[in-house]
Amino acid sequence: MPQGSNNHKSGDTIRTATGGSFSSRVLEGKGPIAVEFMSYGCAHCRLLEPVLQKVAEMVASTEKVYRVNIGVEQELSDRYGIQGTPTLIMFLDGNVVGRVEGPSPVVSSVLAEITHPFES
Amino acid sequence: MHTAEQSKPILLFDGECGVCRRIASWVQKSERGKSGGTSIIERPIGEDPEALRSLNPDLDIWDAYATIHLLMPDGTMKLGGEAVAEVLRHLPGTQWFTWTFAFSVFGFRPFQAVVNLAYTILADIRPLFGCESCGTPSPWIKPIRWTIKRAEAAFAEGRQAKRTVHFSPLSATATARRTLPVNPR
Repeated sequence: MPQGSNNHKSGDTIRTATGGSFSSRVLEGKGPIAVEFMSYGCAHCRLLEPVLQKVAEMVASTEKVYRVNIGVEQELSDRYGIQGTPTLIMFLDGNVVGRVEGPSPVVSSVLAEITHPFES
Repeated sequence: MHTAEQSKPILLFDGECGVCRRIASWVQKSERGKSGGTSIIERPIGEDPEALRSLNPDLDIWDAYATIHLLMPDGTMKLGGEAVAEVLRHLPGTQWFTWTFAFSVFGFRPFQAVVNLAYTILADIRPLFGCESCGTPSPWIKPIRWTIKRAEAAFAEGRQAKRTVHFSPLSATATARRTLPVNPR
């Protein structure tokens, strides 16, 4: 899988961060960043996907959204203590500022979850 | 892969789902002893969208997990009940009756409709059999699942773990399975 590739359907606004690109894209990234730790075999991630796509489009000007496939990125999963999927972790200038496990797959809810940590 | 190398249909199955693994295993066993070897390649869907797209450019990994897919050598894909019917056409023990799937009355194929319905029901009831990757059950399954949970709770009080509704907790076995290499036959 190419590093940081846009490896989903065309029009995908969520980019994939891998073990190789995580540091440069997320930890060294400037501004608010939300990372979805997911797995393609996870039905809850499947439900969340279109919602998160929509939210990612809505916040595109202020916030970046990445996905990390824990089925491939075991090391990242262990590093952030992922207990299940989907888990959203919010980063600001490389620091974890928020975390939510199993967000309700509703646009308003996900939007609130990934923007509130940056408001305080 | 479907262009030059693929000479047999590829059955994609959800390797995280116990029911799907058992069905894939049944297909494999059903083909055993068949003259000329196996006629279907079975392959877990896995976690790599690009690897799937290399099998068929129109194949999306989310769709593959949502519905059974059979990738045909001519580049087409059969989904759901149509995929099941095609698999049955390849198995020695079932192919004798599969001509019925093409039987049509004014454009309606009653036997194929039965297969489609059976597939839909099976896909819906997978969560009842402990499928870790099947997610929230369909509405009509919920009362049945609720009853089963109540019965389980009655026999194993206090063993039910609390969990978030929209969350798939990782299990050691699921994590281990994800690390297994994809090995198409």
